[in-house]
Amino acid sequence: MPNAILDPTGRVKEETGKPSLEGLAPRRTDLKGARIGLLDNTKHNALLFLQEVGRLLVDEEGAAEVSIVETKRSFSVPVDEEIVNRYKGSCDVVVTGVGDCGSCSAAAVADGINFERAGLPAAVVLTDAFLVTGRTMATMQGAPDYEWVVTQHPMAILEEDQVKARAKQLLPEIVAMLTGSTGGGR
Amino acid sequence: MTTAPQESARESAQESALDPDAAQAAIEHCYEQGWSDGLPLVPATRPLVDRFLATVERAPDEIIGHLPQLDRSVTVELAAINAAMAGCLPAYFPVVLAAWEALSRERVTGGGGWQSTSGPSPLIVVNGPIRKELGFNCAGGVFGPGFRPNMTVARAIGLIVRNAYGIHPHELEQATQGLPGRWQICLGENEEESPWTPLAEENGVTGNAVTTTLLRTCEYVDNRHTQSAEQLLGDFADTIGRSGSWIFTHAGAGVVFCPEHAQLLAGAGYSRDDVRQWLWEHSGRTTAQLAAAGKDDDRRVRGPGGVRAPEEFQRTLPSPDPKNLLIAVAGARNAGISMVVRFFADWSGTSVAIPDPKDA
Repeated sequence: MPNAILDPTGRVKEETGKPSLEGLAPRRTDLKGARIGLLDNTKHNALLFLQEVGRLLVDEEGAAEVSIVETKRSFSVPVDEEIVNRYKGSCDVVVTGVGDCGSCSAAAVADGINFERAGLPAAVVLTDAFLVTGRTMATMQGAPDYEWVVTQHPMAILEEDQVKARAKQLLPEIVAMLTGSTGGGR
Repeated sequence: MTTAPQESARESAQESALDPDAAQAAIEHCYEQGWSDGLPLVPATRPLVDRFLATVERAPDEIIGHLPQLDRSVTVELAAINAAMAGCLPAYFPVVLAAWEALSRERVTGGGGWQSTSGPSPLIVVNGPIRKELGFNCAGGVFGPGFRPNMTVARAIGLIVRNAYGIHPHELEQATQGLPGRWQICLGENEEESPWTPLAEENGVTGNAVTTTLLRTCEYVDNRHTQSAEQLLGDFADTIGRSGSWIFTHAGAGVVFCPEHAQLLAGAGYSRDDVRQWLWEHSGRTTAQLAAAGKDDDRRVRGPGGVRAPEEFQRTLPSPDPKNLLIAVAGARNAGISMVVRFFADWSGTSVAIPDPKDA
């Protein structure tokens, strides 16, 4: 018998333990009176975009307020239990992004999945240049069919009024994702 | 010239002991598993990997790297398997582990660095007698191929990232184009022809040591017709100061000087610190020049702003601190050509000692 070729990944045993995401967090029928959480991943124009989404959700969808806004300390690392619990204690739904780089896009997808696992509906926004890396991360996180809101790349070069127009344009999709009303969710 | 009959008989006897068909099948198997960076891998077996592990006093299951976003880890054993597959000799393994440890001190390697759109490459500099013992190239063509230790140590790092972390191009690795020479920039410092103390010794580590950071560019300065240290330094300052790869408030850089440039500067009385001081003062662009590229505003990332005086000089390097400007010496002494490298992010400014091989 010749010697076996060794596996350089070491992953056979490691990745069987990830529980699959059984379903999304329960959805409300609409966002009337909902408290909105925003999670900024530090990428250029992300906070501006999210704040405009928050404003529109209050003004046009009847949300109560934007009740929590945080900026991620590391855009490449998904939110941990502490951050998830803080959002869970302060808001009813979360909007996060904008996935516009290599590691932050993958991490944003994991963020959304982490919020869903904790029972908090989330809408993750990624540009269309990062679909494969987002899907790879979703699969690693045990949610291969997880869906997010896709916007056109690039986002970082947009001027302020263009960012706001982008928020307005994506609003129906974000609302659908958070309420599950028209094909949002999975 | 014809070979003597007894010699050719001995050669064919040796050749027949090899089984190239089995080797080819094993190499193809490695490709099929998705383990390769595109070039053939050496199929790693238990006896081979054990020879790697025998060179260090480390537990095979010791975790030497962890990425929180992927929840994946690198062990000494996995590093050894990947180093073997990269084509390293067992004696190189202490260098691979030291290079990995040095890279672990870089903030970005514990975050999103390996996944970045910038497609950064490690720069690995080896110091000490081990350069000669293992045959690291320190002289001509030092940034290119041709020498097994240089090529395979750098490749081993790339394979660890690919295989142990599972960061594959187009998937979790999102390099827009990637740096040319990615996973192959490993050079011995040309200590013999350097006028200055070895790089690692400057960082407080004497003897065999590795220094490394991640790079976003390599661009050389060809300047071989002046004797003026200041003209020469001005050429480097111009290259370091250009806006092209500059996207944050400041940017760190390095220069891998060829012996001729280093000796010219040292002859004019410049120490490493003097070189850094000069380059810190003179490297940068005016606000107007940066504005022409839409990079004059440095509040978070460089973009258009129009709030600073057009003639104001914005320095590239944050300060003349050694960790903002790595200086090494490598290459042949046959021309005045030196490489300017730009840091992907920040550099730890430290070096890691290479333990003596336990059993080489």
